[in-house]
Amino acid sequence: MKKYDAVVIGAGNGGLVAAIRLLQGGAKTLLVEKHNIPGGFATSFRRGRFEFEASLHELNDFGTPDNAGDVRVLFDQLGVTDKIEWLQIPEAYRVISREEKIDATLPFGKQAFIDKMESYVPGSRKSMEKFFELAEEIRAAQAYSNSVNGQTDQKVMLSEYANFVRCGSYSVNEVLDALKMPKRAKDILNAYWCYLGAHCDDLSFLHYSSMVIRYITKGAAMPKSRSHEISLAMVERIRELGGDVWFNTEAVKIRTGADGGVEGVVLKNGDEIQTRHVIANCSPHIVYGRMMDKVDERIVKETNARKFAGRGFTMFLGLNKSADELGITNHNYFLYDTMDTVKQYDLMKTIESNSVQATVCLNRAYPECSPAGTSMMYFTTLYMSDDWANVKPEDYFKVKDYVANKMIERFEQDTGCKIRDSIEEISVATPMTYARYCGHPEGGIYGYESQYWDGLMPRLLMMAEDHKTRGLRFAGGFSMRLSGYSSAYFSGDITGRQTVGDIKREG
Amino acid sequence: MAFKFKKQIFGFMDLLRFKKLVPNRRAAFDAASSAPLPKTYKVNETAKILHPGNQKARLAEITLVTADTKTYTFELSKKMFFRAGQYVELTADVDGSTVNRPYAISSSPLTSLREGKLSVTVKKAGFFSNWLFDNAKVGDEMIIGDPSGFFHYEGIKDAEVVVGIAGGSGITPFYSMAQAIAEGSEDFRLILLYGAKTEKDIAFKKELDALVSDNFKVVYVLSDEKNKKYENGFITKELIAKYAPEDFTVMACGPQAMYAFLDKELAAMGIGGRRVKKEANCVGVRDVKKAVYDLTVHIRDDVYTVKADNRETVLVAMERAGLRVPSKCRAGGCGFCHSKLVSGKFSIAGADKRRLADLKFGYIHPCCSYPDSDMEIIVPAGLE
Repeated sequence: MKKYDAVVIGAGNGGLVAAIRLLQGGAKTLLVEKHNIPGGFATSFRRGRFEFEASLHELNDFGTPDNAGDVRVLFDQLGVTDKIEWLQIPEAYRVISREEKIDATLPFGKQAFIDKMESYVPGSRKSMEKFFELAEEIRAAQAYSNSVNGQTDQKVMLSEYANFVRCGSYSVNEVLDALKMPKRAKDILNAYWCYLGAHCDDLSFLHYSSMVIRYITKGAAMPKSRSHEISLAMVERIRELGGDVWFNTEAVKIRTGADGGVEGVVLKNGDEIQTRHVIANCSPHIVYGRMMDKVDERIVKETNARKFAGRGFTMFLGLNKSADELGITNHNYFLYDTMDTVKQYDLMKTIESNSVQATVCLNRAYPECSPAGTSMMYFTTLYMSDDWANVKPEDYFKVKDYVANKMIERFEQDTGCKIRDSIEEISVATPMTYARYCGHPEGGIYGYESQYWDGLMPRLLMMAEDHKTRGLRFAGGFSMRLSGYSSAYFSGDITGRQTVGDIKREG
Repeated sequence: MAFKFKKQIFGFMDLLRFKKLVPNRRAAFDAASSAPLPKTYKVNETAKILHPGNQKARLAEITLVTADTKTYTFELSKKMFFRAGQYVELTADVDGSTVNRPYAISSSPLTSLREGKLSVTVKKAGFFSNWLFDNAKVGDEMIIGDPSGFFHYEGIKDAEVVVGIAGGSGITPFYSMAQAIAEGSEDFRLILLYGAKTEKDIAFKKELDALVSDNFKVVYVLSDEKNKKYENGFITKELIAKYAPEDFTVMACGPQAMYAFLDKELAAMGIGGRRVKKEANCVGVRDVKKAVYDLTVHIRDDVYTVKADNRETVLVAMERAGLRVPSKCRAGGCGFCHSKLVSGKFSIAGADKRRLADLKFGYIHPCCSYPDSDMEIIVPAGLE
């Protein structure tokens, strides 16, 4: 029987980083992936003369060599930064909301952002400055926490990062109200909320502000050859470090021994890999629901307690006109009905009532991403309930077209750009597509929702307590750092290093 | 510290609240259900009907369509739903080795969904199709893959009317579309120009004629026979103009020679780009002086060295050696055979359809790559 120090199940963003970390820590590592290519959602696909990005809108917290973000620092440590060609995203976002009649385009850079906000919402400056000050301190506290591997000293926290602790239990809206931020500025600042998939009464301020500050001060980046370039670079690195990567290889069981801990992984063809350490880059619902025979009742309860976050829908368009010809001026659009995020969240529960979209025109960041005279766009939304479960197979293609049509109409109405007659290629991914591709329950793309009680801070504080099965840890969008590219990479970093420690301690 | 954040009247209350984060989460866990976790989910089950993966299928019926073409109807073991015009990969054991080919589905989507049956119509034209024609018998068990490909109507961008241009066995996907329009699983108007050599080469004539409606029309065009009942000659721009409305989308399926002719005709009509879709053909052999190279193949932790004839693709070399390797479209487009090149030289048949990063990191699609030297590649595992 083949024997490895550790097996990583799933070559998504979390699994890829975890495998590199394991190898760097000296562990003999096997990465198995049920698909024929790496990356999970971090991939690309070809249609005609276009190569579409499958999911990445912009990579947060990457920065530039002289203003490096944490993801760049991580990629440097992993040894993959230089294997990838990077582009900078030109501006933060354009948000259009119907109810409040907002149409605002925000730049990167703290000062520029505050100035632009002041021009949209006179009198917002003071509260915005406070917001950034708080966010800076939160970032510093997180850096301190990382530097001591989460073993923070309470005295240090209270003396150096007291604001972090003081605002740490509040939602986005609670803190922004305490800062007396004008409503319109709040509305514009909250535009990124759909990237985290929980409304601003639920979403932790720590989580949201630490994301926003990274975007605004470090900018956002994009690999030239789509996220497939990052995923292949990681596989390259794993192989350089002597790791094994097996594609079209599905792990179906995690076998446990007398102590309840991991003893092996069973593959779909019946082969068993002997190992005492597994990093699962998939959901605990799948692992505990299907891949393990004996699961402790406490774990079942804890898994049942979690709430699935947004289920994905993306439309990809290859257009036979340039962005200039079509009048598409921005890289990144958020189109909302309302900036009341609780109300908006509710509207996103059904296929019929959801019209929200986060839309990217990649040519605005990288004009040469498609042939001259063409452009490429992708439109994403999330469903905040399991409404796609109500779609019968025979109606599926019609419902898919219904939503795609609605997205095109909405974009045309809100931006005034006419795109329909220029569509040369179209591809649409629904919750069924995501369910099939990555196996996530209900076609979710955002892991477990960042509800108030299950937000970033409590998850991090309970990391040790959540680790209940010897030899089994989780990486990816369902784990402690929540979903999103940067978060998934960090989860792989944390879990990979923890497992290296486990191997040293437990063998 | 420039300012001190305070939410509640007494700042210590904010600190206390922070301390409750952990007990709160524990309490939420305590309150949760201990019911067994679900084994699956509705959306994931629907996804399995749309993409059932490889499944066993029993050959239930064989019908002779023309002298060299038969329809093979299978009973599926899993329900399936697809877009009319898509293909499936058919896999069978032929003299001890596993062989597979993509074939357009000739039955309707609802027949698969409701009756669990699926048909492919195959002309005797090569290694596998000859074997099927001469050897396949009712009761045989084979494997059918996912419905695949993009040769189907796309309501969002296509015109309301499709002019279908079928050459020879290229009729198959259109026959599925005509049935789909009749049963309501597709919603567009199809004007089909169907080119065959002679009257006796027309497949499904009776069936197609019976399907004619406001939304489906068929025109037969014979190239090698003068016959007053039909149009004669090739499918020219004049013929297209005769039957087509003002705005239409062209969907073409047929041999490479037909595409070469059609491209010129459509260009002369000023039709192209988003209004034209052509189904890709499988990559065949290339006409070069024979050479045989060593091909080293890594599949998981196994290593094989096999012979590769430079006139055939790398995929065929692996299949000839009996290796189980992935394949689907066999035309370079789907990327299912995506493999890492460790060393060696190769040529690509036709246009390079790989992703940009594949070029950068040295990945190839074996189904459309011919070996130009000894090669070493890492290939994902095939069917199991």
